Amino acid sequence: MNYNTHNTLLYVEDLSVVYGDKTVIKDVNFVEKDVVREGNVTGQVIAFVGRSGRGKSTLFRAMTGLIKPTTGKVLIADTTTASENDAKEVNEGDIGFVDQKYTLFRNKTVYEALLFALRKKEMTKEEKHTTIMSYLTDWGLAQAKDQYPCELSGGQRQRTAVIEQILCSGHYMVLDEPFSGLDVGNIEDVKKAFNLITSSHEFNTIIYSTHDIELAVELADSIYVIGYPTIDGKKADYGTIVKHIDMKELNLAWKDFGLDHIEVVKQIKATMLNS
Amino acid sequence: MKYLFRPFENISKNHRLLIVLFWILLVVVFWFFSSMGERHLFPSPKQVLTGFTELYNEGLVVHIGSSLLLCIKAILIAVVISLVITYLSTIPVVAPIAKALSKLRYLPLTGITFYLAIIISDARTMQVWVLVVFMSTYLTTSLLSMVSAISQEEFDHARSLQCSRWEVLWEVVVKGRIDHVIEVIRQNLAIVWMMLVTVESILVAAGGLGFLIKNSDKFMNHGRIIALQIVILLVGLSIDFALDYLRKAFFRYSKI
Repeated sequence: MNYNTHNTLLYVEDLSVVYGDKTVIKDVNFVEKDVVREGNVTGQVIAFVGRSGRGKSTLFRAMTGLIKPTTGKVLIADTTTASENDAKEVNEGDIGFVDQKYTLFRNKTVYEALLFALRKKEMTKEEKHTTIMSYLTDWGLAQAKDQYPCELSGGQRQRTAVIEQILCSGHYMVLDEPFSGLDVGNIEDVKKAFNLITSSHEFNTIIYSTHDIELAVELADSIYVIGYPTIDGKKADYGTIVKHIDMKELNLAWKDFGLDHIEVVKQIKATMLNS
Repeated sequence: MKYLFRPFENISKNHRLLIVLFWILLVVVFWFFSSMGERHLFPSPKQVLTGFTELYNEGLVVHIGSSLLLCIKAILIAVVISLVITYLSTIPVVAPIAKALSKLRYLPLTGITFYLAIIISDARTMQVWVLVVFMSTYLTTSLLSMVSAISQEEFDHARSLQCSRWEVLWEVVVKGRIDHVIEVIRQNLAIVWMMLVTVESILVAAGGLGFLIKNSDKFMNHGRIIALQIVILLVGLSIDFALDYLRKAFFRYSKI
């Protein structure tokens, strides 16, 4: 499938996070560019896989600016300026973050939560209302608009959390294990949500982690395996990127899951077991 | 019937009601029998009823009102002090003050009243502030636990929505936990209610239930003492019920 890459959207260099004596992640480097396909609005879907305790959540918290990295930097495209290649260091709030529990404000209804997410946008009350209602309808939440988080199903919570971040944060969204604990129907909902996000703007970039390798291979166009690296024959005790699979280069991105995808799944699993 | 004696057994509402009625009946029967004869520990129900009638004629309602007013005044002041200190405890510089106030709950009452008596001359104000000092320490302890029980995910969620640190405090801790504050007040109310009677009986200033107990105690009027205990228990339980109802009615999302 033909595609080109344009501006750099995400640039991570020498990222490390250390808590006391414990190095959680180290030497994390990667670059993700805007993928352009003719006649198609194509956002980026980037998956991070790896065994438990390898630092995926810490990497996500650092990438979203929720924790300050010990070394290194995370740059994202500054879409607020006229220049195409402007970049800025990430701050908390620049990248939307949805944790695996789909945390919401417990005291706000779905509508109130989305209105809060829009509080900094220069829009009139009516425009905000129209935007919220349109999202609620598109994402099948219109009936639940006056419900509190404790009254929502897992899928409804997850969709609310995602819309909240779309309305507030703009083009980037990090989801920590969005498929964990979901049933088949909810997983389909998340897949639809991914499609809705990536098809609505070229710059929209979803970064997610998962333990379901098949889902990573099926949905992502770029996959990173986080694990303990082997240095001089010894396994280190910090997480880093041990393998990158570019599904676009392999001509497997945006295609239905097939035999070639299964080969990639096998490769990833082997890498994970060794790291 | 066997299942009623099995641990963790789920029973119907009617069965639960019947069990409660059974226990109440048992207590009443025990009371009747244990208070019969010449030598008995508890006054008979008749003596208690007489005590209650006497108390009513002596203005029991006014005394209850007086105690409630004292309780409300003390709670309001203590809640404001504790809330301000608890909310500000999220600021590292203020945190030690909040923790220190919480630890002061181990101080004895006598020491506090001594110094308060030097500063305050009016007995009623003294009663209020003795309660305020004590309630603030207990309230602050519970409110600090409430804040520390908030998950990191909730703070991260607010921060990911571009909330400044002050907005996080306002949205997650202040607004997001109002129902918890009511629950904390409800749980600590029993301590205040118990202290209130003690404080009123030490500082006989403007009547109140504590004053009535002290008077009845002086004349060994057991019927009146038990009648008063029942009144105090019922008023306390009514406040507890009212606060619980208030929380559930105003905060639909509250599932504590």
